[in-house]
Amino acid sequence: MKRMLAFISAILLFLGVDLVVAPKAASQTNQAAPKTEVVHVGILQMMTHPALDQIRQGVVAGLKEEGLTTGKNLKIDFLNAQGDQSNLKIMSQQLANKDSLLVGIATPAAQALANSAPKTTPIILAGISTPATSGLVKSEAHPGGNITGTSGLNPVTKQFELMHAVMPHAKKIGIIYTSSDHGGQTNAHAFARVVKQAGLIPKLYTISNTNDLQQVASQMVSQVDMVYAPQDNGVASAMKTLVNVANNVNIPVFPCAETMVPDGGLASYVISQKEMGRVAGVMAAKVLRGKNPATYPVATVKSGYYMINKKEMRKLHIKIPAAIMRAASQHGKVIK
Amino acid sequence: MNLITSSIGQGLLWALLGIALFLTFRILNFADMTVEGTFPLGAAITVTAITKGVSPLMATFLGFLGGAAGGLITGLLYTKGKIPILLAGILVMTGCLSVNLRIMGGSNVSLLGQKTFFSAKIFQSLPRYFDSVLIGGGTIILITILIALFLETDLGQAFIVTGDNQMMARSMGINTDNMTILGLSLSNGLVGLAGALIAQSNGYADANMGIGIIVIALASIIIGEVVFGYLTLNQRLIAVILGSIIYRFVLLIVLQLGFSTNDLNLISAIILAICLMLPTLRHALKLDGILRKGVSQYGK
Repeated sequence: MKRMLAFISAILLFLGVDLVVAPKAASQTNQAAPKTEVVHVGILQMMTHPALDQIRQGVVAGLKEEGLTTGKNLKIDFLNAQGDQSNLKIMSQQLANKDSLLVGIATPAAQALANSAPKTTPIILAGISTPATSGLVKSEAHPGGNITGTSGLNPVTKQFELMHAVMPHAKKIGIIYTSSDHGGQTNAHAFARVVKQAGLIPKLYTISNTNDLQQVASQMVSQVDMVYAPQDNGVASAMKTLVNVANNVNIPVFPCAETMVPDGGLASYVISQKEMGRVAGVMAAKVLRGKNPATYPVATVKSGYYMINKKEMRKLHIKIPAAIMRAASQHGKVIK
Repeated sequence: MNLITSSIGQGLLWALLGIALFLTFRILNFADMTVEGTFPLGAAITVTAITKGVSPLMATFLGFLGGAAGGLITGLLYTKGKIPILLAGILVMTGCLSVNLRIMGGSNVSLLGQKTFFSAKIFQSLPRYFDSVLIGGGTIILITILIALFLETDLGQAFIVTGDNQMMARSMGINTDNMTILGLSLSNGLVGLAGALIAQSNGYADANMGIGIIVIALASIIIGEVVFGYLTLNQRLIAVILGSIIYRFVLLIVLQLGFSTNDLNLISAIILAICLMLPTLRHALKLDGILRKGVSQYGK
């Protein structure tokens, strides 16, 4: 009981002191921050995942391109929440406290940063599918606050055109995503709209986690002519299962992300995650030099390249139009 | 300095979860897995209600009711359906995921730009992080007092006896099934309330925000017990709150020391394991005697 009272009084005492001292301390650090020679940038990443890791590498590359190099004039504080959202808050507060610019990778991380950081600290988004509907910016053209960055909207129209060119007679397209994955859901619905507009039939299937994939996918491939795998962490990590199920009935899988083609996807038109990070890094450097995030529109990286998996072509006996093959071997990637 | 305040605030907010689990884990004597579903449920209901224009106070109350409904279902499955408690909890937790997705209409709903408890005008003039300290502190003090008062009543005493000895409770004419259902509903209502407050503090609700929270709740209970020793029931409730704050301090220290965040889960697991083993270690290493000597030097 004594120990308890001592602990409680220590906490109350600390809070009392902080209440009196804190406002001064805060204004001091804010004045000092921009004058220092080494710029402190905080990066908060939602979890370890190939696509997210590539975005982070891109951010560092983009900062370097603008003359900010770690070890010289840049200090990067990097925290990864490993998918545990209960830690996002304390991590984002820790970064908000010591860094003059923050980078959020994946939606919950960016939201946590936006909520913890003072409105004067700029935040750069990297790889958030829909910054406006996630409440991060007022609109993508006029962010209006301290937040801007790059948006990772998938080139769904291009991807659909590719699928249609390869399989012109396919009518029903199966789309499978994790119901609790925000990115996957957004991407899947955007793609379904494109399919509908083109007069074909999109069929949506959801899994609650990767354990359901085998069964739901088996059900799906019996009802569709080809499969689209959206930007979904769950589906991406279990891509091999999905490919096995689909290839058993000679159906191709068209994924949307770079890492999913070597895992057995047939072909895709992808935007480079690293490029998206790089653009975010360049934007971060420009904001650090005084550009106002409120009027700095969110950049959507649209240009991408074709990726084709020749192993899959042979396995499924599918021919890909010569023009696309040429484009892939010249500007994209062909996996032999 | 700032970060310590922030940890205290976070500790106070998450303490609600510890108190909730204390009711089932320590008093009723079983581990209730439902919380990993009712926590995001409370968050989902509250955040969706706020975005639909409901006042934060009402929305938070709805979050409490949602959580309580989840607990009620677990209680019915356990007592009436004779499903083992661990399984009943896991079933409801799993089901909650779909319910949460339906409620939110997606997997993530943002609160940025919406009115919440944390956006109230009073907090703008205070230093940073005092919003969570005041809201967390106010809520936890209120809830703890209410629970302490409840446990003093006849109903509360019957509730405690049910956890201590079911057979004896039944022979005293206590309907142990009803007590279990009551405990689970109340506990999960508080979990829903915790979800509601933490979602407002974080600025969003996410379908995956329940993952791993049972560890946080257990940590508060166990750290509180280990650090503060033998206590009366009401003091134990306070120990849970302090345990929750200490757990946040530990996380803060681990982060400040620059450990890779990949190791964070392992580190929390190790800390918890040490806390759980401490009574045994204390006995084996005769730490008790040494501690007592140290205390007696300073005079009791």
